[in-house]
Amino acid sequence: MHTRARDSEFTLLFQMIAYSVIVILSIICLLPFLLILSGSFSSNESIVRDGYHLFPTDFSLEGYKMVFKFPTQVLKAYGVTVFTTVVGTALGLFLITMAGFVLQRKDFKYRNTFSFFIYFTTLFGGGLVPWYIMLANYFNLTDTYTVLIFPGLMTPFLIILMKNFIRSAVPEELIESAKIDGANDFRMYCSIVLKLAMPGIATVGLFLALGYWNDWFTSSLFINDPDMYQLQFYLYNTMNTITFIDQMAIGTGITLSQDVPTESTKMAMAIVVTGPILFLYPFVQRYFVKGLTIGAVKG
Amino acid sequence: MRMRNKTIRHLSLVFALMLFAGILAACNNGSGGSAQGSEQGSSSGNKGEKVTLQFYMLGDAPKDLPVIESEINKLAEADLNVNVKFNYTSWTDWDQKYKLLLSSGQPIDLIFTADWTFYQSYAKKGAFLPLDEILPKAAPALKSHVPEDMWNAVKINDKIYTVPSTWIEYVTEGIAYREDLREKYNLPKPESVETLEAYLEGIKANEPSMTPIADSNANHTHGIRQLTSKLVNTAGQLPYGLDIMYDTPSSITSYWGSAQHLEDLKTYKRWMDKGFFPKNVLNVKDTSNSLLQNGKSAVVLSGENPNKFNADVIKVQSTHPDWKLGYFPYPNAKGFAQPVHPIHNGFAIPRSSKNPEKALAFYEKLVTDKRYNWLTEYGVEGKNFEVQDGYYKMVGDAQTNGFPREGMNGWAWRNPDFMLYDKTFDDVLTMFEELDKIKKPDIFTGFAEDWTPYQAEKAALEQVEKQYLYPLNVGLVEDVEAGLNTFMEKAKQAGLEKIQTEYTKQWQEYLKSAGIQ
Repeated sequence: MHTRARDSEFTLLFQMIAYSVIVILSIICLLPFLLILSGSFSSNESIVRDGYHLFPTDFSLEGYKMVFKFPTQVLKAYGVTVFTTVVGTALGLFLITMAGFVLQRKDFKYRNTFSFFIYFTTLFGGGLVPWYIMLANYFNLTDTYTVLIFPGLMTPFLIILMKNFIRSAVPEELIESAKIDGANDFRMYCSIVLKLAMPGIATVGLFLALGYWNDWFTSSLFINDPDMYQLQFYLYNTMNTITFIDQMAIGTGITLSQDVPTESTKMAMAIVVTGPILFLYPFVQRYFVKGLTIGAVKG
Repeated sequence: MRMRNKTIRHLSLVFALMLFAGILAACNNGSGGSAQGSEQGSSSGNKGEKVTLQFYMLGDAPKDLPVIESEINKLAEADLNVNVKFNYTSWTDWDQKYKLLLSSGQPIDLIFTADWTFYQSYAKKGAFLPLDEILPKAAPALKSHVPEDMWNAVKINDKIYTVPSTWIEYVTEGIAYREDLREKYNLPKPESVETLEAYLEGIKANEPSMTPIADSNANHTHGIRQLTSKLVNTAGQLPYGLDIMYDTPSSITSYWGSAQHLEDLKTYKRWMDKGFFPKNVLNVKDTSNSLLQNGKSAVVLSGENPNKFNADVIKVQSTHPDWKLGYFPYPNAKGFAQPVHPIHNGFAIPRSSKNPEKALAFYEKLVTDKRYNWLTEYGVEGKNFEVQDGYYKMVGDAQTNGFPREGMNGWAWRNPDFMLYDKTFDDVLTMFEELDKIKKPDIFTGFAEDWTPYQAEKAALEQVEKQYLYPLNVGLVEDVEAGLNTFMEKAKQAGLEKIQTEYTKQWQEYLKSAGIQ
């Protein structure tokens, strides 16, 4: 009796500490975002004059007005990013689940050889220049949508994650009995693996989607046509142009006939860019935790 | 049964591979058609040898580029039977992209070059095609358009690798300051270190909310160097702390660690104590110009060339009509001005080019044919610009106009005979005329430094500089003399002496080969 009271006391104490730590941490994580949000709703003068505030002192929508004043470029960049994210994630999930399913099957004779090829690239890569030459000169992928999707399709880490997840989520016996019942490999893949591996698929899918959504590097290297810029790159490039004007134009004497976006416009752009992917989290989150731990621990 | 199973497995593997390949191919054809299709179309075209030139520029493309490109292609197809594809690297990571473009062997026919894109070292490494023999054959008009001494000036190892721009401009810097405040408080004109200090003191005393010097990254040091010494280069920042004076280029001393260096650093420390810099100067993110334009600061010491100063004046006129800006060009303090070196703006033909003759012939048109030149510099007449009393006039404003003046970043093919200026540019041209009177040739930019012998030391030294010299430059170190000693000690450990010796050797070889005393 006595001990039980002590126990519940400890539980209460633990919960109090746990909750307060979590609350503080969440606030710390939220603050920068809140600053950006409030900055995007402030007038540019107030940012220049007083700096950023948690709540806009001088409310204004001019930042957003600037972003959407000539929406074609922003919308085009949005379109490209949405397209690459959707297609890349779908295609990537298909390939990664397939690879994971095959690699964990005990009756696949060469699975160690293939696994080795995949793991090997995580340890030794060719580097940037060969990678560029491969994609640009041999595959001729400069200025194509393929180049935005193709390089990110099969990430070794995600394949390993998926393989381990399928191994733990789909018992060997289940495959065995399905085989006895007359199911072929595709049947097993579609009806059993895809269904049971849902948490893993959601996790890997989120990783892929985030990767595609946040990608700017491939645009920076392979895309010359401004209509094909990804959203992140479009934003990043606009920001960089300002830095460039500051640093390079000094000795070079070159003149750039571009309008420099104001502080509030920058913030509004940041919100516009991060917005949609934020909404993805709540929907995938419940799978997320489960998928990651099972995949990792039982590996 | 087992046999059948095996065949099915094999078949399905093949099927899966085919599916994957098919998806890739479909994507490729669907979107990449434009780039590949034109090439294929051209090789099997009616005239048999129409080619598409790949043209690479730095920066961002203007909105109306497709219109200009098709107009240019109409002309070029009729004249030379070529098509041109204008490609733009963005300002994001342009240097990395530039490196990849030149090292990957991608077919490129024309690429922008400048000293700040490392023309000299790329040319030395053989990234570009020597033009000496092709020029008279493929582009005789261009050959005679560019003066002989300019051709000589761009030579690397006695070969021409770039076509220089013939428009002469000055990117020399100067002090930009608030003239209205100077008049209001009766301060001296900031034209020497002493008067500058007096001016800054006056600003600090009368306008306590201002931080007198607009500064980021300790840029003021370059300004002060230009105000007080007659260095060979225009930017006041010779590498590795060396001192090479214009009048005696062959005698080289070390500025770092010298008595002059110590004195300058003491000045910066005094300025910091007097509050001329913000305390967090090394983290300032605003540009110097925006600080001046917003009235947060009164003086810009670095980066203000005539062009940029003019832009500041125009900006301030529209936002604060009651303000006045003053300008003191550093060449006035030095006694001579160096116009930009011909290397500064040019176009080269990379070794990977498949049609060097055609590329050069097209570039000749771009420079010497007014139709090509105006289209690519100013856009379509009537749609993008108008000519009013001999001045350039933009149609609409920067937001609505899809091709502002020099929107294609065509600094390299400016032709003085065809150039149109905005009315506001008159002040810059007047400044150029003034500077023309004290003109002396640039003897520094033709030098191509080869840092391969001391690459590791160079990287180490850069770290030391950031860690020990920057705080000294902005007066954040209490004991300046001890701080300078520490910096020199660390720099020597990083290999400063080896770098300076090797650099000196290369510089003297260059002086000999260029015939400079």
